[in-house]
Amino acid sequence: MEKSVNAIMPGLCARVVVKEGDKISKGQEVAVINCMKTEISITSESSGVVKKVLAKEWDDLQVDDPMVIIETEE
Amino acid sequence: MISKILIANRGEIVSRIIKTCKEMNISTVAVYSEADKQAPYLEDADETVLIGPANPVQSYLNFETIIDAARQTNAEALHPGYGFLSERGTFAEAVQQAGIIWMGPSPQVLKAISSKCYCRKLVDEVQVPVIPGTLDLVQNANDVIDYGNNHVWPVFIKLDKGGGGKGIERVNGENDADEVFQRAKSIGEMAFGSGDCYIEEIVENSRHIEIQFLADQHGNCVCLGERECSVQRRHQKIIEEAPSLVVTKNDRSMLFDRTVKIVQKMGYYGAGTIEFLRSEDGNYYFMEINARLQVEHPVTEYLTGVDIVKWQILIASKKTLDFTQQTVKFDGHAIEARVYAEDPETFIPSPGTITDLKFPEQDPKIRIDHALKANAVVPPYYDPMLAKVIAWDIDRKSASNRLIKALTEFQIKGVKTTIPVNLKILKSMEYQEGNIDTSFIDNSL
Repeated sequence: MEKSVNAIMPGLCARVVVKEGDKISKGQEVAVINCMKTEISITSESSGVVKKVLAKEWDDLQVDDPMVIIETEE
Repeated sequence: MISKILIANRGEIVSRIIKTCKEMNISTVAVYSEADKQAPYLEDADETVLIGPANPVQSYLNFETIIDAARQTNAEALHPGYGFLSERGTFAEAVQQAGIIWMGPSPQVLKAISSKCYCRKLVDEVQVPVIPGTLDLVQNANDVIDYGNNHVWPVFIKLDKGGGGKGIERVNGENDADEVFQRAKSIGEMAFGSGDCYIEEIVENSRHIEIQFLADQHGNCVCLGERECSVQRRHQKIIEEAPSLVVTKNDRSMLFDRTVKIVQKMGYYGAGTIEFLRSEDGNYYFMEINARLQVEHPVTEYLTGVDIVKWQILIASKKTLDFTQQTVKFDGHAIEARVYAEDPETFIPSPGTITDLKFPEQDPKIRIDHALKANAVVPPYYDPMLAKVIAWDIDRKSASNRLIKALTEFQIKGVKTTIPVNLKILKSMEYQEGNIDTSFIDNSL
């Protein structure tokens, strides 16, 4: 099943720390958002494989914007 | 005399600079990004220029569009404010090459002092103590291990080009040296374009004391007293005051002497601040020089009556300081509280829209520097500081009571603010007794 990992804060995408094909576990950091000069870690709520990276550095993000798509194990 | 200044910044500092320019009959140009289109201070400027999208790299950090805006509007001088490009030597150089007066230290000085090791060496040469550590860069984890084993653990790895509280990493011992060294290096490369590091020992229970100075282009340097900025969260200041409770008359005159020595050795002119760390046993160590107007400058303006922005403009116009160390007077006590758009418990940023706003009752002994209005957007792209509330009174107790009253009346709705934390600090027994150090928020609240 596909699940997206979304921005939990508005701001600029500082970096995406995973790439397509990476195996990730629940709670793992997948990206970082810079909100008001503070780095906010974005973590995955489920384990799986990174299917698609949607966000890139400097993207202007709103809350709930999808950043990474995960193919989950369930 | 300069007749038009472009202000290359955003937020409260734009209003602050415009205020002095108006008093001096200087016209102003404010620049803004698309995220700041509705910013209230734009109404106060004589002209405004859109310089790009919300992303600061394409707007407030963009050399070309800012210099173009100055050319377009025939601004004779550029004031960089604080943060953004204010201490960037290459920007200062580009501004000067465009025939525009730069309001700050020379590009050569800015470039040199961007290296903390350069500063540490220079300060050591004039026999002023620096925080114990290395004067040179460390090349690898082995250098860190050698230092720790020969001197003390734990130590800090600090970035040579770091700032804003970023890139200060603690190494507890031999085992984590490599990991921490690599982390500091990569933070440095990402955030500051340089992974160069050096070592500083950790001064426990230290207090942050800084000296504000003005130096003209004719070799005169006058100190405007100290500010104590020990109350910090994440190495960033939240409450500042002057005078400091721990700085004695002798300390003060020693710190003034040290400051003048360092400033003259650097060939620095303009307004600036030298930060010292005061150890528990009362020794002062040079920490760094801030080559800009500082956020907390109003504290000093209240005590001395000197308009620091006015002197930045006059110094850039090659005027000579018209006062000396002997004629500067320090009167009463001033305390500043910085109000951030952050959750007061977790300090997580809180961008949004201000739905409701009520300022404290007007009071000649309260100064509020801000960029607020009802329905204004607090964008997520920039610094979270919303306002500074500064109180003055004849003594510390009265100033702190006045500040507590003002902060209690200050209502900002729609975004979370640190006002509750400011109040908690000011009302705490530790603060009232002056028992504060840089770990105060972590340990006492």
